[in-house]
Amino acid sequence: MKARTRAATILLTPFFLLFTAVMVVPIGYAVWLSLFTEKQSGLGFGGTETVFTGLDNYTAALGDRAFREGFGVLLGYCLLYIPLLLAGALGLALLLDSALARARRFFQLALFLPHAVPGIIAALIWVYLYTPQLSPVVQAMEAGGIGFDFFSPEGALPSVVNIALWEWLGYNMVIFYAALQAIDRSVLEAATVDGAGAWRIAFSVKIPLVKASLAMVGLFTIIGSLQLFTEPLILNKGTGSAVTSTWTPNMYAYTAAFDRNDYGLAAAASVLLALTAALLSFAVTRLTGRRKAGTARKPAPARKPVTARKERTA
Amino acid sequence: MTRSWSRTSRVIAGTATALAVLTACGGSGDDTANKPSGPVTITFWGWAKGSKDVVDAFNASHTDIQVKFEEIPSGTAGGYAKISNAVKAGNAPDLVSIEYSSLPEFVSSGALQDIGGEFTEADRAKLLPQTVELTTLGGKSWAVPFDAAPQAFFYRKDLFAKYKVQVPTTWDEFRKAAEQVKKADAKARIGTFFPDDPTTFEAMAWQAGAQWFKAENDTWKIDTTDAATTKVTDYWQGLLDAGLVHKNASFSPEWTGSLKNGTTIGYLGASWGAGVLKGTLPEQNGKWAVAPMPSWDGKPASGMLGGTSFAVTKDSKQKAAAVTFAEWMSTTEDGVKARIASGTSSAFPAAAALRPVAKKAFDARYYGGQDIYALFEAAGASISPNWAWGPTTGTTNTTIKDNFGKITQGGPGIADAVKAGHDATVAELTKRGLKVEG
Repeated sequence: MKARTRAATILLTPFFLLFTAVMVVPIGYAVWLSLFTEKQSGLGFGGTETVFTGLDNYTAALGDRAFREGFGVLLGYCLLYIPLLLAGALGLALLLDSALARARRFFQLALFLPHAVPGIIAALIWVYLYTPQLSPVVQAMEAGGIGFDFFSPEGALPSVVNIALWEWLGYNMVIFYAALQAIDRSVLEAATVDGAGAWRIAFSVKIPLVKASLAMVGLFTIIGSLQLFTEPLILNKGTGSAVTSTWTPNMYAYTAAFDRNDYGLAAAASVLLALTAALLSFAVTRLTGRRKAGTARKPAPARKPVTARKERTA
Repeated sequence: MTRSWSRTSRVIAGTATALAVLTACGGSGDDTANKPSGPVTITFWGWAKGSKDVVDAFNASHTDIQVKFEEIPSGTAGGYAKISNAVKAGNAPDLVSIEYSSLPEFVSSGALQDIGGEFTEADRAKLLPQTVELTTLGGKSWAVPFDAAPQAFFYRKDLFAKYKVQVPTTWDEFRKAAEQVKKADAKARIGTFFPDDPTTFEAMAWQAGAQWFKAENDTWKIDTTDAATTKVTDYWQGLLDAGLVHKNASFSPEWTGSLKNGTTIGYLGASWGAGVLKGTLPEQNGKWAVAPMPSWDGKPASGMLGGTSFAVTKDSKQKAAAVTFAEWMSTTEDGVKARIASGTSSAFPAAAALRPVAKKAFDARYYGGQDIYALFEAAGASISPNWAWGPTTGTTNTTIKDNFGKITQGGPGIADAVKAGHDATVAELTKRGLKVEG
């Protein structure tokens, strides 16, 4: 028992040290910062005075339309992005799952490649492709009679969603593909014997069997969306596009700190965003936890002989 | 955008961590101060063209002070964020470049120190009074002005001749010229509206006689609804509505691309733009010319677009050395010559006595040998002395920029953006505990 405690202590110490240094302390410092503000007097050229303001920074952030609109943008982003992502990734995975083995490997790699490109580079590439006088894409679209201004207010959300799709479609496709590969082939054979065509198998057998992955990817994407920052920031800087400097809550905090020199407000906005993320994460853990318990129950009988055999050899 | 668990947990720290880490890792500033002998070393951050050459020249000619130059991104492109972070963290360089428009913001956040003792009345008298005015805030001297940046109109003289367009001297003529250019070549435009750069627009308002930030009896009066601003707003809205100017981000690939292929044949910029054009479009050597900024009544008038000063950060223990170096850059022949001779800078020195030096050092062949410094001289003298910047330029300009981006045909316009900037400025000043009217 004692040896086990010692081992646990040794093994867990690095984690808790790092956890404290890079999570607990910074969060504590942010909370601390968020309780203060800098006040000035006269014309403001006499220096600043740091004043304790309690929750004033929080009410200021929540009272700022730009901050609240940031969450609205996130909601709109999720509503547009997630269905497209799920449908696209699942569709591609189903195609791959029914394709020739050699084509499979090629497409898997080709579709996954964009994910290897860092977000900032992806955004820069796409800004180029969105710029009217430079982009072959925009020129082709115009030649085809579809004029679309990616930097306009209507174009802002689709522009960002498109970059995100480009980055994440392949990655999620791989997840779905793996889930599809895990389906017991005998189930599919049975469906074929029963006279089901490819479409019927996809919709009535395959998709229901990968529902858990679908839910997981969907929920994680929602939480990940809270961090939306790099891509819209690139669109904001130097394009004159309608993506504002406070477009997402993350960008709001960034602008408050670095453009407005208001570190208290930035800290408060960050803490609010962190709280939202924590709540969502909690919800996701609960939901996926329940789902995992549910799916684990069914294949349990099939697994039993395997474990029994293992125990015997051990 | 991400969904893996490690990343998700990172949300929780998110920007909070970034801020905390950045602010927590402050050093103790300069330790060179404690060394009794040997040359004093100071650190200097800047981005202006030719800075490296100036520092090299200074180091070569001085033994008592050595300067370490670090190039940072230009102010609004991230340079200012870097400076304010470093000051907050306590590891800022001794000397930093700050444009006149952002100086009050840095002064009011307590990032700088008063250099009145080292940068004396006699030193200040050598410089263009308007620039001294812009660096004197609350009765104290905060920075050494380097250049004045009077506005100027750059144009392709070959294409103006080809399209038979007269160089405009008034804004009315400018609009007519814009129409002629568009008529001559449906794709070509006389100039560009920069939706990412409120300072160009502000310089136009300044030129027209606006005074957005007025300090009276400890109260800030914010006024953006005056006749001058309204005139400029309506005029530019008109140009946009009629499609007489391009709408591209400044210095974007789109903008330079259009200059390269001749679909943008003019540029409403400032003195330093002469060096930028030369550096960006070397193949158009000899095709450009410079004209005074068009004005409302035909008389010379100018705002100031950009313009750099050098300020000493609050924790620097090398104030005297830093000011010495700053003054060397701004007010000595060697300092100015080293910068201009680098070939990329067309800075117009705030020091009147040094303009002949700058003129001599600048290779004007790109402008067909035109005496562009004489033109800047006249424009510099015509800079309206009434404009001052407020302590919240970051907020003002970010808000206007955000709203410039939303401008659409039939949708929100320039006036809405200016209004939004006004409201944000008033709110920010109030939040800081300052008295505001407007």
